[in-house]
Amino acid sequence: MDKIKITILCCHYTNEATEEDFADIPAEIELKRYPCSGRIEVVDILKALEQGAEAVLVAGCENGTCHNRTGSTRAEKKVELAREILSEIDMDPQKVNMTFVPRLDSGALVAAVKETFEKLLRIKEAA
Amino acid sequence: MIVAERKPIKQILEMIEPYSKVAVIGCRGCVAICSAGGDREVEILSAALRLARKNNGKPLETIEKTLVRQCDPEYLTPLAKLKDQVEAAISLACGVGVNLASDLYPDIKIYPGVNTTFYGANPALGKWEEMCRGCGDCILDLTGGICPIARCAKNLLNGPCGGSQNSRCEIDPDTPCVWQLIYDRLKARGELEKLAKIWAPKNWIPAGYGGPRKRERPDLEINNKSKHSGGVK
Repeated sequence: MDKIKITILCCHYTNEATEEDFADIPAEIELKRYPCSGRIEVVDILKALEQGAEAVLVAGCENGTCHNRTGSTRAEKKVELAREILSEIDMDPQKVNMTFVPRLDSGALVAAVKETFEKLLRIKEAA
Repeated sequence: MIVAERKPIKQILEMIEPYSKVAVIGCRGCVAICSAGGDREVEILSAALRLARKNNGKPLETIEKTLVRQCDPEYLTPLAKLKDQVEAAISLACGVGVNLASDLYPDIKIYPGVNTTFYGANPALGKWEEMCRGCGDCILDLTGGICPIARCAKNLLNGPCGGSQNSRCEIDPDTPCVWQLIYDRLKARGELEKLAKIWAPKNWIPAGYGGPRKRERPDLEINNKSKHSGGVK
């Protein structure tokens, strides 16, 4: 059986995690970095799902720590809009999630990915 | 600007149900400014349609294109090539664009991706408000620049009505009573006497009596040497 694929869209400066950091999670983890989470667009989230991700996690800096001041706040709005679109086309909006992680703390990101994975399993079981 | 809003995605999916390859065509005019039909919305809608169709086991291919304007024949010329590449197109332009594109390129089945809603202003990010009804006989000189046709729920020319309470409209308490605004504005300008004057009945003929409205400027027509300055017919 193919592994579940989770795509992480994250700010390049939020953390230095690599795909190896997610080795303990039994899923295919794809990590896409952006100059700032504020640069992540709704279409990036939808395209990740289109390209086979079963869940998308958008990661941005914690409130007040974004280099560009409001990048992660903007990212959160994009996540909300992507969720609305998923609802419109009868997809579970919970497949797209936002996490705010401390800068340069890969552990927090790994924990958020684990949580996303577990949430996805629950969604799949309920379906 | 002309304000529009994307149609529900399911409605658009229904329109294009028989097709496997469609174009999603945006417009960089008003609908881009009101975030309904510009480049970004073209990308988002295309991805959403593809995703929905993929989930339904009937994949969809899209071509994405955004034109400078869709209300002008010269900017619609890329559609000539498109007709051999797709089975149908979704236009994210206002109704004007969909009409003109369909008139000029009848071989392409063009479907509307937005609902065209009103002529409005953009007073703050993410907010659009109706300010003009395009009635063709502007009376803003009499009302301090505030339009009672567009901004009064009853289009009253002799407001406020009895439902105006505490400067708010009875139809929607979030909306200020436009006649209160007009009164306050004229008072501040020292022009209250305009309200004491008996106005001639408003001319509603330019509002659409007699079918679709046209404006002509023969002096702007190519190869026309007439000095006639034109007007509304």
